[in-house]
Amino acid sequence: MTATAAARSDRAQNRQRRWAPYLFISPFFILFTCFMVVPIGAGVYLSLTRWAGLGSPEFIGLDNYTRLLGDQSFGASLGNTAFYTAFALLVVLPASLLIAQALDARGLKLRDLFRLVYFLPVVLSPIIIALIFGLIFDGEYGLVNAVMEALFGFGGVSWLTDPWWARVVVVVLVLWRWTGYLTIFFLAGMQAVPRELHEAAEVDGAGPVRRFFSVTLPQLRPVTAFIAVTMLVNTAQIFEEPFLLTQGGPGESTLSVSMFVYRAAFQRQELGYAAAAGVVMFVIVFALGRLASSAFGVGRTR
Amino acid sequence: MNATAARTPRRRRVRPARAGLYATLVLLALVYLAPLAWAVSSSFKERSEIFAFPPKLWPDPATLFNYATLLAEQPFWRWMLMSTSVALISTVATVLLCSLAGFGFAKYEFKGKRLLFDVMFSSLAIPFAVIVVPLFVLVAKLGLSHPLFALVVPWVAPAFGIFMMRQYTEQSIPDEILDAARIDGCSELRTFRSVVLPLLRPALGALAVWSFLNTYNTLLWPLVVVSEPEYYTVPLGLQALFGAEGRQYNLVLAGAVLAAIPAIAVFVLLRKQLISGLTAGAVKS
Repeated sequence: MTATAAARSDRAQNRQRRWAPYLFISPFFILFTCFMVVPIGAGVYLSLTRWAGLGSPEFIGLDNYTRLLGDQSFGASLGNTAFYTAFALLVVLPASLLIAQALDARGLKLRDLFRLVYFLPVVLSPIIIALIFGLIFDGEYGLVNAVMEALFGFGGVSWLTDPWWARVVVVVLVLWRWTGYLTIFFLAGMQAVPRELHEAAEVDGAGPVRRFFSVTLPQLRPVTAFIAVTMLVNTAQIFEEPFLLTQGGPGESTLSVSMFVYRAAFQRQELGYAAAAGVVMFVIVFALGRLASSAFGVGRTR
Repeated sequence: MNATAARTPRRRRVRPARAGLYATLVLLALVYLAPLAWAVSSSFKERSEIFAFPPKLWPDPATLFNYATLLAEQPFWRWMLMSTSVALISTVATVLLCSLAGFGFAKYEFKGKRLLFDVMFSSLAIPFAVIVVPLFVLVAKLGLSHPLFALVVPWVAPAFGIFMMRQYTEQSIPDEILDAARIDGCSELRTFRSVVLPLLRPALGALAVWSFLNTYNTLLWPLVVVSEPEYYTVPLGLQALFGAEGRQYNLVLAGAVLAAIPAIAVFVLLRKQLISGLTAGAVKS
């Protein structure tokens, strides 16, 4: 900060000022070390062992990893997670961009109300949402089937027990839950675009569509990057939606990697194997997240 | 003459577009509200009426049976007490620690700042799946699995919160104010407490709502670490009820409606702060 102010303050204050930032950020680093770095280290060690939680872990080298390679369930969970993530980035993200564009219309009435309503799902516990969706999509008595029966004369879709439809319901849930959340970021980004840019483009004869692509989108780059990275990291860890809605089924057709880890550790007592899957997950997500972050320049210091 | 001639057709073209826009937005709002309205309405229906077709918008006969049974048979208020206390304690600690760290990153130059910030920021990309198993083991082995410790302490300095507070501090606290406070002889901590903190109030509100909702709603970690039913949070209790034999939909629906009330109340009261605070960080990267 300014040299004059520093010169005026006495030496004790100066020393304090040198140490203060370290003190201020230290709680994060202490907790980070205890509850992230140490567990990750322990996880890497556990991943090299066979352990059911009792006695001491038995060292087995890379066996868990070779077993993961050949494990069809793990492959399925990777595939499903990739599908969910791709859906989040290719459908949820553009959908929320479109909704934000609609909400950004000049002189729109009730904008705050719409925004509030669309945001609502994020506020609710996933267990509430999953329960409601489970009942609505129930294969025998659900509302969706009943409505389809009434409208089109067929309503026997086994939403939650057919492998493909179950995946569809999970992503519908993802769409319903996250679109409004992302919308508020895009909308804030759009409202930060200087009006003059739009006016200049309008004077040059650019229509709404052209303005969207040549003015709005380039200006939204930082927001989009932030959202894309957040969504990538979040959806790659998806657990609650499939866990509550379908328990990963039918079979393993909606199983996600996080569920695979949970199942291996806490339902099958294969803690070492679960840790290995966690480490693989970590490597993939961390690499993708960092790659995307640095490609888009998210979170750089100024 | 020319100008009016040019304006009239355009205005006529705009109006249907506006109507279409409103229609789309309202339709979308219905997509969001209908499932929730159905849930609220169904929670007052008799069990056999929940799946009746055509679905009744208004419960007929309306009954409080689901609520009464839930509250009589399940320790729902206990779950609620657990959830809200965990969420409140976490929120207070989170707001304090994140604003302090955000201030540290925003307003000081120090050796290693860049590296430390990068470490903090990249911790956002650490998936919970890699931590969950070893952390559970560590917490259990060290005898720290009491829910008031395990559900709170590990999560009270989230990187997202620090990032958000840093962005806000950078944008809204001028260096001159800090220098003035220092000239007046304030210590750094005192400057933070009496000068910075009051100016951060909107962002603190946002962070508080975010933290409260996150903690209140979280499921996976409590599911792993809390084993005694007496320490169940609301999501755990509902999950147990939902997973139990016989699927007592009607009770779970009533519980879901009750559980949603604090979350929605907090959100509606502080929505402006939450939304502007959340987006402040992202818009100006």
